[in-house]
Amino acid sequence: MRALLVWLSVVNLAISAELALSLPGWSEESRQVVEGEEWLPGAGLLTGDKEAAPVDSTEVQPPTTAEMTEQVAANEIPEKFLDDYFAKRPEGFLVDPQELLSPSARRDREAFLNYHSADSPIDFHVYVFGAEQAIPGGVREEEISERLFSQGKPSLILFYYLGAPERAEIFLSPSLSDAVSDAERRRILQSSTLAAMERSDSIAQLEAFCVQTSIRIYWIEKAAGLVEGGSAVSVAKTLPTSKDEGSARIEAVRKMFDAFWFEWGAIISVSLSGIVISLTFWWTSRRRASYRFPEFDVAPRLGGSHAAGVGAVIGFGSTTQSPSAQHSGVPDYF
Amino acid sequence: MDGRYGADEVVIRRLEDQAGLMRSSEREKVEAAMDRFEKRFPQLFFAVCTSRAEGRSDVRQFGFWLLNRAAFKDVPLDRPNECGILLTIDPDAKSAGITWGYALDAFLTAEDSFLFLSRAHAYWVEGRYSEGVIRGLKQLSRVLAKRCKQAKSDPERFERRVAPPSAARQVAERIRAGHRKVVKEEVTP
Repeated sequence: MRALLVWLSVVNLAISAELALSLPGWSEESRQVVEGEEWLPGAGLLTGDKEAAPVDSTEVQPPTTAEMTEQVAANEIPEKFLDDYFAKRPEGFLVDPQELLSPSARRDREAFLNYHSADSPIDFHVYVFGAEQAIPGGVREEEISERLFSQGKPSLILFYYLGAPERAEIFLSPSLSDAVSDAERRRILQSSTLAAMERSDSIAQLEAFCVQTSIRIYWIEKAAGLVEGGSAVSVAKTLPTSKDEGSARIEAVRKMFDAFWFEWGAIISVSLSGIVISLTFWWTSRRRASYRFPEFDVAPRLGGSHAAGVGAVIGFGSTTQSPSAQHSGVPDYF
Repeated sequence: MDGRYGADEVVIRRLEDQAGLMRSSEREKVEAAMDRFEKRFPQLFFAVCTSRAEGRSDVRQFGFWLLNRAAFKDVPLDRPNECGILLTIDPDAKSAGITWGYALDAFLTAEDSFLFLSRAHAYWVEGRYSEGVIRGLKQLSRVLAKRCKQAKSDPERFERRVAPPSAARQVAERIRAGHRKVVKEEVTP
């Protein structure tokens, strides 16, 4: 019985395998082509499919010039604000006709700039634009600084893009631009931008930028001696006009020295004066000092009524011998 | 000394350039230095005598005699010879010496005088006598100023230098003088 069951299972499996794993066979037409050597089997794997890949309909096409022009034009400052920005010299130090700043932020910035102007011979004007906004091509920034700020106090003009401090630009009024080097202006821009980038909030960035720029303006004033007063314009003309980097370094060192001297100069001067006066007094008193010896009773000696103090005798006949070698002691009869 | 040089008083000036070693302008400079010295030390004066001994003696003996016999006509009377310091220079013998009065016995030593002469030596070798005197006088002023300060702070120390020997010491000295041959004591084991 058991042998019968095994035989039936084996037969069943053989039939199933025959049905499931039947090998492919050549069709009669293919066999004729191969035998006629018109087709090489596997040639498609070796040579690749030469048919063009289908075009991906989702790929972004680069914008055309017309599209770019339209995009820039869309980011430009609206024309209705251009006059408020660039038509005349601003009355305040903060120029924000688009009201990009909140009232409280504007109030804070205006207070800061007013304080700076009251404390400094160099005004500080801030123009606020949007982060993506662009100044229309018809407006030339250099021309603005010359046209609007050639009169009055020297000014530093900042074009600040709210939320994008790296786009900020600094311009100087003509009386300063002739005196402050481009390198110095770049340094002001870099240090202020770095100070602003440390903040995340756009208002805080503007605040940090303004504070740092104000500090750098103060350094320029101190280096130029504007802090002690005097005509700002005339002194500004004495600012260095060095253009190359070496001169800029010397200038930086000089400014550091000036800043140090401004802070410590008074103390150092007073101290040195005190030392000089003390030394002079000491030297004078020493020169004028008189010395009185105490008087002792001395018994006369050697029959001398007034003197018996016999000291050294020295010979100076030889130029080769030392004084010690030509020194003769006190003789016996003394 | 009096037998050799004379017992009479000799009237001279503070700067007695008998040997003619200094020009007029140089003498003025030396006298100015002397004035400064006297201003600084109101009790003292400094005198210079250049003389050609011509075989009579050396500058040490001559200086000793001169300071005891000289009457300095340009020195105030409140500065007696006891308060004087005399520099004698013999250009022929190429030697110079210092003598000082009793008032300075406690404050000056032979080493101090040698220091003075040493400072001037380089100038005198070259025949620049006035410059040597001025340079030496500066050195002497420095030493005397220092001694004056020391004497004010510790006068006993300087007084002991010129104090007369005590009676006991005098007795001991007499005994020593009479018994120079000291008998050594035999040491017993």
